[in-house]
Amino acid sequence: MPAHDVLIIGAGLAGQRAALAAADAGASVAILSKVHPVRSHSVAAAGGINAAINPDDDWRSHAFDTVKGSDYLGDQDAIEIMCSEAPGEIMHLEHIGVTFHRNDTGHLDLRAFGGASMKRTAYVADITGQAILHVLYEQLMKYSDRVDRYEEWFNTSLLKDDSGRCVGCVARNIRTGEMRTFNAKSTILATGGVGQAFKPTTNGLICTGDGMSLAYRAGARLMDMEMIQYHPTTMTANGFLITEGARGEGAHLLNAAGERFMEKDAPNKMELASRDVVSRAEQREINEGRGTGPLKDSVLLDVTVVPKNRVLEALREIVNLGRDFAGIDITKEPIPVRPGQHYTMGGVKTDVNGETDVPGLYAAGEVACVSVHGGNRLGANSLLDTLIFGKRSGQHAAAVAGEMQMPKVSDAQLRDDTRHIQDIINRPKTGRRISEIKEELGVSMNQYCAVFRDEEGMTKGKEIVTRLQEEAKTAYIDDAGTVFNQDVLGALELGFMLDCSEAIVTAALERKESRGAHSRTDYTERNDEDWLFHLTVSQDGEGADAPAKLDKAPITFTQWEPMERTY
Amino acid sequence: MNFQLEIWRQDSRDQPGRFETKHVQDVDGEASFLEMLDTLNEDLVGKGSRSVAFDSDCREGICGMCSLVINGMPHGPNQVTTCQTYMRDFEDGSTIYVEPFRNNAFPVVRDLAVDRSAFDRIIESGGYVSVTTGPQPDPNSQPVTPEVHQTVMDAAICIGCGACVAACPNGAAMLFTGAKITHLNNLPQGQPERDERARNMVHQMDEEGFGGCTNFGECSRVCPQEIGIDVIGMLNREYRRASRTKKPSHPKKMVAQ
Repeated sequence: MPAHDVLIIGAGLAGQRAALAAADAGASVAILSKVHPVRSHSVAAAGGINAAINPDDDWRSHAFDTVKGSDYLGDQDAIEIMCSEAPGEIMHLEHIGVTFHRNDTGHLDLRAFGGASMKRTAYVADITGQAILHVLYEQLMKYSDRVDRYEEWFNTSLLKDDSGRCVGCVARNIRTGEMRTFNAKSTILATGGVGQAFKPTTNGLICTGDGMSLAYRAGARLMDMEMIQYHPTTMTANGFLITEGARGEGAHLLNAAGERFMEKDAPNKMELASRDVVSRAEQREINEGRGTGPLKDSVLLDVTVVPKNRVLEALREIVNLGRDFAGIDITKEPIPVRPGQHYTMGGVKTDVNGETDVPGLYAAGEVACVSVHGGNRLGANSLLDTLIFGKRSGQHAAAVAGEMQMPKVSDAQLRDDTRHIQDIINRPKTGRRISEIKEELGVSMNQYCAVFRDEEGMTKGKEIVTRLQEEAKTAYIDDAGTVFNQDVLGALELGFMLDCSEAIVTAALERKESRGAHSRTDYTERNDEDWLFHLTVSQDGEGADAPAKLDKAPITFTQWEPMERTY
Repeated sequence: MNFQLEIWRQDSRDQPGRFETKHVQDVDGEASFLEMLDTLNEDLVGKGSRSVAFDSDCREGICGMCSLVINGMPHGPNQVTTCQTYMRDFEDGSTIYVEPFRNNAFPVVRDLAVDRSAFDRIIESGGYVSVTTGPQPDPNSQPVTPEVHQTVMDAAICIGCGACVAACPNGAAMLFTGAKITHLNNLPQGQPERDERARNMVHQMDEEGFGGCTNFGECSRVCPQEIGIDVIGMLNREYRRASRTKKPSHPKKMVAQ
């Protein structure tokens, strides 16, 4: 049985950063991922990473922008830590070989991003995630003597000992079907968000909320789950993301009449208001009949106002996207876009060191909710979140591991999981197919938990999720093999997504106000008197059928009192 | 649109593989190649047969996961990733051959999915910046000119998909390795280990069983990131330079005074 000081599940930016921090601190580390690390979804992050590097800037200004962006739902102690540690992290990344964009004089260049009071986003063209992920992976290779990589292993359960401490996990080797118990002193979840519960989404096929669901089943609280970010510029043709960097470089948003409609919503920041604000404005234009396209379901993103050489230099990937996927040369004509599901602000509740409610279990990155994003994440703060809290989790987990003995584990869970998978394979072919249920879930979540929400829709959404949870129990698969059996993984992932969706609709129904990305047409105003707290969702009792239980958690305030939010 | 597919099926690494004929009907020309395979798999599952295993993740051309050889071309007829290849690019009614990336260093895991960990071991041999002692200098104390930055960016854009290897008649991994070398050896922070990196990465590339470059240029022609073959020139220069600098066979040990 593999036994390590620190076990990390997920190998995107948060997971790799945690692994490096733990290895730096001298711990023995295992990093386990269901895909090859550089295929993790962090690779798709486009725009950049925020840090107050400019001498005229101050991390407090970055922190305030983040607090305001969160609609005052973010925990200010965590935000202060993230923003103050950001410049150092950029230096570190640059030092290990990330090619942040340089200006004509050879110095670091920064770009404008939504919701930020000044240019503060360091970037690598529009492939920032890819550039950082590949360089971190190189670093992981450097530590190959201290970090064991388990690539293409699928996590099926977290393990707890009699005292309730998390002592590792059970995972399945995707290539061979072998099930194995991993023993660890500390376990860090870094498995990303649950975008695949929505359709369309900008998220990759692997973003199925694995870690959120596993932690939830292990007894941890999920927090801020009602806060789902819709990105303002996803291509209408296929749901792909067009980076906020496009608007950062000066692109305009136009309705069918050719009006820059953001004038009405954000006269100062225009297209660079917070994402929730821009998405709402777009959706309103579309709902009120001012959309473009055959179905009038889009607005236009006009990149032609940006100088062509700048587009080719700083937005090269979206030039290719427009060309390859929509047949549009974005330097010559506007491209139809609309809001699309993009990010889960909520996740496993952690403190500033990544510790969850379950002793020995940490979470970092999109799977976690520290909460630095609150009701709405600012563009280019997610990469920062993964790196800062990935690092802190890794360091803390390594320090704790250094002071304890390797905990004991039994193989009971291994037997349970092996049997569960066999049960899935043996199901009679009478129920629905996995892919059908997933499709219905995605379409329903996107209909009822989208940019605008109301009681009636979300109630329907919740009923659908409950029904799908029942149907998933008898959903069948065909592949009974052990080698690279993607069907079995699909069935397990569906279970994860349904857990997360239940938490999302439960919390969203509960919060009877409009805050950040949670915008209700039946409660249109923010209500600080009654709703200035986090909502948490946890499992009421043991077992897969245990109902969801709602609780409140206080918001941490340090220096900024809630104010009206205008851009 | 209708197609006949000749798909490579292989149950596992050690089993022999074979082509299987499948027919797909009423395919939307706007569907991507992978969506067509998704539909085929749905169909296979519905009929109670095993679905075709293939790799894919982001489906927007950045993760480097998808990896098919379509009609003999890695990633298909256009110079984009497989997920960006559309059915409209194929002639209605035609037969399409679908194979995994072919190379001895990339063993087949199942059907169309291959094991590309040889790339990892090349990086592991030296494809990183490892000087971590001392305080980290402010990046602005080491300006990088726009020309150098552009060269570095054009190489750092590699997504590690391995199409270059699959396309090369020699099965060389020199475009991949060259891109890594061009990225790190041009940067100020990559200088201290410049020679060692070139030596070790080339050595590991040979160890893995990849071939050598004989200037076919197929790698660059299929690279979805359009990385130029000049990175191979850079790799050769760096390796030659590194071979000239004499490496002490036994590094001197420091002795306590």
